Amino acid sequence: MPERTQSLTAGKLSADDLAAALAPRSSSPTGKSLSVTGLRKSYGGTTVVDGVDMEIAAGEFVTFLGSSGSGKTTTLMMLAGFTEPDSGSIAVDGHDITRLNPGKRDFGFVFQQYLLFPHMTVAENVAFPLQLRGVDKAEIRRRVGETLEAAGLSKFAGRKPRELSGGQQQRVALCRVLVYRPPIVLMDEPLGALDKKLRDQMQTEIKSIQRELGLTVVYVTHDQEEALVLSDRIAIMKDGSIEQFDTPRGLFERPRTPFVADFLGAANFLTGKVEDGRGDDCTRVRLDTGGVLTARAHACVPGQSVRAAVRPGKLRLVSAEEGCCTGTVETAVYVGSLTRITVRLDGAAPGTPPLRIETALAPPRPGERVCVTADQDDVSVFDATDGG
Amino acid sequence: MAGTALAPAKVRVKTSEKRGHRSRIALVNAVPVTVFLLVLFVYPIIGVLSLSLEGDSGGFTLHWYADALSGVNLSVLLSTLRISAETALLSLLVGFVLAHAIARMRPVFAALAMLIVVVPHFISALVRTYGWIIMLGEHGILNTLATSLHAPGAPYSLLYNETGVVIGTTSVMLPYTVLVLQGVMRGVDGRLLAAAAGFGASRFTIFRRIYLPLVAPGIGTAGLLSFILCLGYYITPALMGGGKQTVVAALIDQQVMQQDQWNGAAAFGVILLLLTFAGLGVLGLAKLRRKKTAARRSSS
Amino acid sequence: MMELPPTRAGRIGRALSATAILLFLAMPIVIILVTSFGADGIGTFPPKEYSTRWYEQMAAPDGNWATSIALSSLIAALTTVFSLILGVTAATALARGRLPLHAAVYGLVLAPMLIPQVVVALGLFLFFEPVGMLGSPLAIALGHTVLAAPIAILIMISTLKGIDERLEDAAASMGASRMTIARRITFPLATPGLIAAAVFSFITSFDEFFIAQFMSTPDTRTLPVLVFNALQFDVDPTVTAVSAVLIALAILALALVALVRKLGGHRNQQGGVLPVERLT
Repeated sequence: MPERTQSLTAGKLSADDLAAALAPRSSSPTGKSLSVTGLRKSYGGTTVVDGVDMEIAAGEFVTFLGSSGSGKTTTLMMLAGFTEPDSGSIAVDGHDITRLNPGKRDFGFVFQQYLLFPHMTVAENVAFPLQLRGVDKAEIRRRVGETLEAAGLSKFAGRKPRELSGGQQQRVALCRVLVYRPPIVLMDEPLGALDKKLRDQMQTEIKSIQRELGLTVVYVTHDQEEALVLSDRIAIMKDGSIEQFDTPRGLFERPRTPFVADFLGAANFLTGKVEDGRGDDCTRVRLDTGGVLTARAHACVPGQSVRAAVRPGKLRLVSAEEGCCTGTVETAVYVGSLTRITVRLDGAAPGTPPLRIETALAPPRPGERVCVTADQDDVSVFDATDGG
Repeated sequence: MAGTALAPAKVRVKTSEKRGHRSRIALVNAVPVTVFLLVLFVYPIIGVLSLSLEGDSGGFTLHWYADALSGVNLSVLLSTLRISAETALLSLLVGFVLAHAIARMRPVFAALAMLIVVVPHFISALVRTYGWIIMLGEHGILNTLATSLHAPGAPYSLLYNETGVVIGTTSVMLPYTVLVLQGVMRGVDGRLLAAAAGFGASRFTIFRRIYLPLVAPGIGTAGLLSFILCLGYYITPALMGGGKQTVVAALIDQQVMQQDQWNGAAAFGVILLLLTFAGLGVLGLAKLRRKKTAARRSSS
Repeated sequence: MMELPPTRAGRIGRALSATAILLFLAMPIVIILVTSFGADGIGTFPPKEYSTRWYEQMAAPDGNWATSIALSSLIAALTTVFSLILGVTAATALARGRLPLHAAVYGLVLAPMLIPQVVVALGLFLFFEPVGMLGSPLAIALGHTVLAAPIAILIMISTLKGIDERLEDAAASMGASRMTIARRITFPLATPGLIAAAVFSFITSFDEFFIAQFMSTPDTRTLPVLVFNALQFDVDPTVTAVSAVLIALAILALALVALVRKLGGHRNQQGGVLPVERLT
């Protein structure tokens, strides 16, 4: 336990110092842009990555978010050059690097398992990339010293990696990458092996270093919260392709597929048909349970079967309003600042889950009759045949 | 209440009783092997030691050792050390190449390769040596092949000289080196090598700076082990070395069987023993050091 | 997933070097097996004519070879019995109990595998000579047990460690006596290990040369002693047939052990036979 507190305090003063130590000196280590086109990879007939396209701007923090098997790590490994794509291309600032060896790309990598060299001391580990780049000895000593100093790791310089705690090891791994100022840093679940508290703190460190140095970071995680905290944009991966690539707010408020709506936060799905008879106006959805929801504008055909998604916090309880859906409260659980309610709509098919609603207003009691509706901006509509 | 308070105490009595009972059983069972080895292994070796320090007419003397460490005898001792070192190096080299290849083979081929490495270990060394004699002789298959291919310098003299001895002993030590090296190679995390490549290291740099240091303990162990085992090795040098290439073990055999010179043989035996102990000591120290760093890391 | 991809040159290089080394290792054994059926008796390879005359000579009822094969078999059988007794007891002490001085006893057990055999042989000669037991099969078997017992012990230790002790506890909890547990639980589970220990003890003795050489008399010469003399002094082509038989014996023995272990569901094929694992 004293170990933990020590590393925590060591971390607190480090983030800004580390960035300062590495900050633009002669050649400013700003990030480069990365563009990916039609990246594909399959292993023995199983397609793992199926056509990934994305443009990442210089200095942007981009995260691949997905469950295991979604192809996020394979995509990162192809960016890194450890896995060769079957087709597609990768370019840095417009230069194609698809077939380049990992070492020639001048990227930085931070791995989940740290992958510090066990036979080298902390200082030797950090010096390793500089030695490979032919930096002279005095300069190496200076830069390694500065970097470790800034990361609060100076006193561990002579220790072997295994003598350090997990957080310290990950900080060394970070130093080992940042010390040679790569314009693009790839990180594969770098905080996956750390406990929650340490993870939160390291997230802050990573974010502030990235921002100050203007690094381009491509990050892989399955932790939604981590992705939301760190990223400028998030690519949600499913079955080897990107479901949606957008800012956290965009993903949350304008999910483009039911999967995204359900994956980030929770969503209630309501089935219905687009109301016809009003020309091009596709915004009104008549629900199968009765009632009408007005949705954001979307491409559709009148009469089409659709699914409408609404987040639990966006459903409103009203006394009576035109088109609201009536139902009965099943449960109401107070969880601090708000109350979680489940409502079974009248006419809901047996087996469908009840609506989940979060409200900060005075909650109804179980068994009470209520009417539910949502604002136009909070309702997303998807074709009923879309998976998710 | 009284019952629950008593229960843990009762359990503790039971386990400590069990423990005491177990160490008694262990002691009883350890007796036969301990007595056997003390009588037929340790005591005879002490006998060798005392014989090596005993003069022709009784009394203490060191002159058998002086004999053993001078003149022809010394050169035999030195050539034994040289042959052992050469064997250790060659079996390390061959073993490394083989173990490295096996580590990257598909499981079926790896199993087959291990079979070819390990099975000969269980075949009489005499028989294997005989096989080498047939194979390496002037008209053996190797020279026939080399001559028919018009290899420069063929036929080679591979038998009844040091080359022959080292080839033979190396094949005897190879199972040990391959097994030891395979053990450490399997323990190397391939991702570390990939990570080094990611930092821009060349294949050669990765091999020299990452792979080699990681397998170094195994290389040390395998080398020392084959050196030690080679020191007292007799059959192959005696049969493949011809008359002139004598090693210490052959000298001992000769002194006992032909010259009835037991004291000198005993002195040589003790020298071999000390060399072996020295080698084992180095192995033990290296192991201890690794354990110590492991302990330090787990305590920190 | 993240591995250094093998280069083509590396793959080819590894395959070639491994094949060459393995061929080199297997060749002497193959050569002996083939030449033993050669008619000319001077080890021409491959033989121009094939015959089984060396095998017939080896098996001739009152020839040297048949006598020494019988002697070696007797000694090996005695050695097997001795080292099984020591193996079972010592392994029980080392693998199961909480033995005081565990490290010392363990070191003592390993020592004969690492100490030069010539020293052991010399010591045994000095031990048995004064009591007039040179040439006695019993004495030679006792000497061989010094080398064979450590192997048997290591095999039995790994066997006993592979048996879940809780099974024995479970039997005890049902009221089984210690004898019953040993007979009904431990012994059946340890059978593959016992067979392996027996086979390796037998081979160790059957192939042992140095101790037998020092303790032999002109009347009692074991098979390896005879083979050694045949190779060093008189060129008797029968020795190829004998060698081939020894090879076949070793392979059969290993196959038997592998089969028994497979039936017993054991996974580690060579575990505990070479002392290397203990040293790394």
